[in-house]
Amino acid sequence: MGKAIVITSGKGGVGKTTSTANIGAALAQQGHSVVLVDADIGLRNLDVVLGLENRIVFHMIDVLKGKCSLQKAVIKDRRIENLFLLPSSQVDEKDAVNEEQMLHLVGQLKKSYDYVIIDCPAGIEQGFRNAIAGADEAVVVATPEISSIRDADRVAGLLAAADIPTRLIVNRISAAMVKKGDMLSKDDVIDILALDLLGAVPLDDEIIATTNKGVPATLEGTCPAAMAYEVVARRLNGEVVDDVVHNVGFFARIGRAIGLSHTA
Amino acid sequence: MQQVWNDIKGLLTGRRASKEVAKGRLHLVLAHDRTGLDGAKLQEMREEIAAVIAKYVTIDAEAVDIQIERVSRESTELRVSSPVRNHSTLS
Repeated sequence: MGKAIVITSGKGGVGKTTSTANIGAALAQQGHSVVLVDADIGLRNLDVVLGLENRIVFHMIDVLKGKCSLQKAVIKDRRIENLFLLPSSQVDEKDAVNEEQMLHLVGQLKKSYDYVIIDCPAGIEQGFRNAIAGADEAVVVATPEISSIRDADRVAGLLAAADIPTRLIVNRISAAMVKKGDMLSKDDVIDILALDLLGAVPLDDEIIATTNKGVPATLEGTCPAAMAYEVVARRLNGEVVDDVVHNVGFFARIGRAIGLSHTA
Repeated sequence: MQQVWNDIKGLLTGRRASKEVAKGRLHLVLAHDRTGLDGAKLQEMREEIAAVIAKYVTIDAEAVDIQIERVSRESTELRVSSPVRNHSTLS
């Protein structure tokens, strides 16, 4: 029996979908079978972030309406062994699904995969309730900004009320800005939200570049964000792993100075 | 160490690091959010509390103030302050 994990944040645009794609890819690369579920009905995006948009025939709502079997709607990623996607519908509305249906669907998927990772829509309405309905665990993604942290706190409260164990990913940390005192640090965010840390992901241009190409960063190589997501995946799997230390060496400094890389 | 340096810099330049401003604002906002009270409810509560206090001591109802503050990671405190009018000046 697999485990269902919902990736949520309250606020939009903080990296839920990117985190879902990279955590899923990392877990699959580490040898687990993983199905990613796009729970954002009407605004699907996980397919494009993964580069699987041209492969969709059926989607989640088709399954729920009995138009096709669950197996038929699930797409297999051809680059990563054991990575699968259940796409969302782009034409239906959020209320096309209810919590019981979602619970049943996730239950079915847990029978066939080690990990069911659910990409939650922004907001705290029906779409959120659906996305958390079948989740055994939750991951709250927050960036070190006031608006993101405020919404993360709200969502963490709702998850606690639903008795779902929750951990935190602090995303897009700029080491340079933290150093200047112009950005809340990982520890500041942990302290304010009072959540256990699952991982800290640095601000990394590679995420934009890999997303442009529709390739999970963890598949492309060893950029700092990809390495952070690999740590996150291992911790989700119960391993005790140290944070990646991003050594900014002499050549990297020169590279940054002349504008070759803006990796934080 | 970095923190200490930022503090010194802040003292010298008279400018607080923006993250400290963010922290302060977040503490206030989250404390309010966590009570689940909106502005109108808070106002209603303030008036009711003022009325109760006024039954026992002479106060200026308008001066009753409610402050919500996060005292630790897990607990939020609601503090009511009410200046009591001095009786000797009333009689």
